[in-house]
Amino acid sequence: MASKPVTRIPGRAFRPRPGHQTYTARRARVGYLFVLPAVIMLALVSVYPLLYNAWLSLHHDVLTDPLATHFSGLANYHLLLTDSEFWGDFLRTLIFTVISVAIELVLGMVLALVVSRKFRARSLVRASILIPWAIPTAVSAMLWKMFFDQRTGFVDFFLGLLHLPGSHEVWFNSPFWAWLPIILSDMWKNTPFVALLLLAGLQGIPHELYESARIDGANAWQIFWRVTVPLMKPTILVALIFRTLSALLIFDTIFVMTGGGPGISTEVVSYYNWYQFMTSLNFGYGAAISVGITIIAMALAFLYVRLMRQGGGFQV
Amino acid sequence: MLLRQRSWAALGSAALLMGVLSACGSSPSASGSSNVTLVFANQGLGTELKATQTAVKGFEKLHPHIKVKIETLSANSNDAYQSLVTDFTSGSSTPDVITADVIWPAAFAAAHWIQPLSASQYHLNHFFQGMVKAGEYKGTLYAIPWFINVEGLYYRTDLVKTPPKTFSALVADAKAVQKKHPKMYGLAFEGDKYEGAVTVFQDVSGGFGGEFLNAQGKPVINSRANIKALTWLDNLIKKGISPTAVTGWEEGQVQQAFLSGNAVFATNWPYLYPLAEAQGSAVKNKVGFAPPPAIASGKVTASLGGDVLVINKNTKYPKQAEELVKYLTSSKTMTQRALISGDPPARTDAYTKSLIAQAPWFAQEEKVYKYAVPRPVTPLYPQISAAIQTALSEVYSGQASPKAALDQAQQKAKSIISNNGQ
Repeated sequence: MASKPVTRIPGRAFRPRPGHQTYTARRARVGYLFVLPAVIMLALVSVYPLLYNAWLSLHHDVLTDPLATHFSGLANYHLLLTDSEFWGDFLRTLIFTVISVAIELVLGMVLALVVSRKFRARSLVRASILIPWAIPTAVSAMLWKMFFDQRTGFVDFFLGLLHLPGSHEVWFNSPFWAWLPIILSDMWKNTPFVALLLLAGLQGIPHELYESARIDGANAWQIFWRVTVPLMKPTILVALIFRTLSALLIFDTIFVMTGGGPGISTEVVSYYNWYQFMTSLNFGYGAAISVGITIIAMALAFLYVRLMRQGGGFQV
Repeated sequence: MLLRQRSWAALGSAALLMGVLSACGSSPSASGSSNVTLVFANQGLGTELKATQTAVKGFEKLHPHIKVKIETLSANSNDAYQSLVTDFTSGSSTPDVITADVIWPAAFAAAHWIQPLSASQYHLNHFFQGMVKAGEYKGTLYAIPWFINVEGLYYRTDLVKTPPKTFSALVADAKAVQKKHPKMYGLAFEGDKYEGAVTVFQDVSGGFGGEFLNAQGKPVINSRANIKALTWLDNLIKKGISPTAVTGWEEGQVQQAFLSGNAVFATNWPYLYPLAEAQGSAVKNKVGFAPPPAIASGKVTASLGGDVLVINKNTKYPKQAEELVKYLTSSKTMTQRALISGDPPARTDAYTKSLIAQAPWFAQEEKVYKYAVPRPVTPLYPQISAAIQTALSEVYSGQASPKAALDQAQQKAKSIISNNGQ
């Protein structure tokens, strides 16, 4: 903008009088004014809690023992590094993230490709795939929990009808199978979101590229891998960032479906963090876990952004 | 000119934002001394909510200047606890009066979130003393019992002649019925990973002579008696006396199994009794309620539950809040509540002749109250319970043996207690 002081008020912008701000400077000032509310808001709801949380993490602060609160330096972080429950949860969270994000990305891409085609009632289909995404996570988790109920769920019913194994499985009592409803519910809810993002990227690809590829004799598969995917890379990375970070922080689904059980086999880092805050009332240690999770999330976001800079952009 | 207009617009929007933010901070100013609104946090739904509403109406009639707003929290104890902790940590002045699960006051009192109460105001000698004790922390009274609850054993009087006194008798009775009716569950119990699994476990553990903390407050979770108790429960599932599904059951599912006539025995709370005797119930006139079994060297144990009333330390209206607590815990209000919702009064003098006549099951329930055993009264109880919940869940899902799981819970409880001793 600054490089293009276009002539809305001809003549004035180029001849600043002494004592008067230039047109660009005034424009910039207005810009800052407009940004100000957002900055204040972010500072209040994001920066302040983050700093307060970091400060809290340096204290021994257990609410049931308010008189014992004191500055404890890095003691909480020392505990965090040696806490095998946290690192076990971290590993589980990571595995969940990789699996669920991979599935959602592939399915989201398929969905995006389908709805980008022209067919009757396309807008209806586009709107309706968004429905799962618009349902609150806790509700969709409850829904899937009921689907997998051993007596009343439809999963059990259909497996029984088809004489398939698993029809009397108590899904939530198995350390392995308890993950299935969790992943399915996460997938059901988030795939539409990925599809929507990818659809936007898909529509940004100039039509001429497809045309010339076809003229050069490329088949559909080749077009997908050589034209669509490379051009979609920035969009894919954006979708990946969003999904990876929110999968890493998964809480509601686990809280509603399994409470981390059976045992602790579906316990994830956010759940453990919640436990330290809300059950142990150990705000110092809870804060340290939060900081740990924030650092991990930031490192991942940073990695993605680097990837995007290196391979992103439309220069093929 | 356009620019000037824009900067005004920007300033305006900033001002608007600040206005919104400052509105968030300021609290609704106390509206004079004449009219006062108390917020009363509560967990019950259905008939329990109706009973609360009736009581509140009676109170408002008596005190025309006090309005009471009922705030209904989640029916799941763990969730309700969480939302209260959120209120308290923010220093909120509401809710003013809170219905608390009997296991919470110790933690609330330790955190200085609730007000100490003066015992002389509440005729405590008329209450069940075990419950009064559960409301004391370090010798100070913080909570007034509202209704008592014990987890006992429901049984089908048409299928079992006398309630089993020992664990092996229970298994034998269940097996005998299951032989004739193979689709029936022997014992329906709460096995999900939550607080209710711990109260069932405490019933059985006490029956085998075990406890969670000893008299000195040291954890004894992996005692031989507790290992036996957990092995017994686990074997119920393994041997088909209880369905594997109990590993996900809470009170609601146990209730469903028993009321539909599909279970010989069920562990549950007194609220189930009036439902079982209601019109249209499949088990009407076929229900008995008994203390849980015990072995010779054990102690008959019915976990004490129930709700107590506490007052927020930051309340703006401590006097009015106390009035409400006094009214709600009066003998008359408790009898009224028992009639509407089936919640058993926490006062012995509320069991009037007319109450027993209208709801005869209270006579049977009263016999179980004398075996009521509270869970450990310590602010650390929620954490110790979480460790036990994990252990139970690991055993029921076949991830660990009862001994290994309880050893681990013992280690956790030890570190929870020693970490807090700073």
